Amino acid sequence: MLLRGLSWLVLCQLLGTALNVLLLPMLPGPIIGMLLLFAFLLLRGEVGEPLHQASSSLLKYLPLLLVPPAVGVMAYAEAIAADFWAVAGALLLSLLISIVFAGWLMQKLIDRQQREDA
Amino acid sequence: MSPDWLAAWQAVTHHPLFGVGITLGAYQLAMAAYEKTRWVFLQPVLVSMLTVIGILLLCGLSYAEYQGSVAALTLFLGPVTVALAVPLFLNLRRIRQLLWPILITLAVAGVFATVLGVGLAWLLGAERIMLMSMAPKSVTSPIAMLVASQIGGIAALAAVFVMITGIIGAICGPALLRRCGVRHQAALGMALGLTAHAVGTARALQEGEECGAFAALAMSLMGVVTAVLLPLAIVMLL
Repeated sequence: MLLRGLSWLVLCQLLGTALNVLLLPMLPGPIIGMLLLFAFLLLRGEVGEPLHQASSSLLKYLPLLLVPPAVGVMAYAEAIAADFWAVAGALLLSLLISIVFAGWLMQKLIDRQQREDA
Repeated sequence: MSPDWLAAWQAVTHHPLFGVGITLGAYQLAMAAYEKTRWVFLQPVLVSMLTVIGILLLCGLSYAEYQGSVAALTLFLGPVTVALAVPLFLNLRRIRQLLWPILITLAVAGVFATVLGVGLAWLLGAERIMLMSMAPKSVTSPIAMLVASQIGGIAALAAVFVMITGIIGAICGPALLRRCGVRHQAALGMALGLTAHAVGTARALQEGEECGAFAALAMSLMGVVTAVLLPLAIVMLL
């Protein structure tokens, strides 16, 4: 079951990679693969048991899979050190402001829509 | 003849499984520490990252060697990205109800996050190549790396900024949003996914399935829109 779902995921990604080379060089293969799988689920109207099992087991380990790219910070320590305060300040400030702005805007829009519906 | 401790040590640290071993070990320790304390600063990705970097430095291993040995783990980032389509689909009905709030937030807050980051770094005097590596900081690393190299930045540096942004977002995001009165699960997820991509999505999944679904949705929409529009915008503006 798990393997069948996993095969679907891999197939979608490989198709995405092919489309990436053929038609859409600006979108990475995995993202095209996700859009393909999403379109497929829309057509089919439900998530099959194998796919559900494979995706929820894989998604549980998403934080683990992000550790290796995060460790990449050590390879660029010098380049970051040169512009450290500018970069750190900009990243921190812009993130804090934009995350609050995004959440606040979304909440306001939801509230407004619910009032209109009511 | 005395046993050759040094040779054994070398054989262990340079074994292709050593990187996988320390990553798995560090991650489980970090998860256990987080679950025990529930302390926001102990984000599993951050703690594992610091532990792994510490071990690599102690053993005198380079990032290139580590990267080679964890290639098998990194390979699965592709299928996991594809798998995000499933929570997205399962929450489609809820998403459909909030179609306009989602699209407006994506357009306004997405542009705002990108412009604000680059603008602040420029004001603080960062180099152009740094600015171009920073522009895609709010999207998931495979897209960010691709976009950065297209617009004249350094792909690996972009991945680092993406990671820093994601980690800060996951650590500070939920508490900050709650303090600012953002309580709706959809709004929390949307903000986390839009600004803090995969790390934010992983954090949002801990908040609940609905929050995670909106984070996955925001992350994928933001990624697709950034990949298509950011290179175009840079070409037209500069």
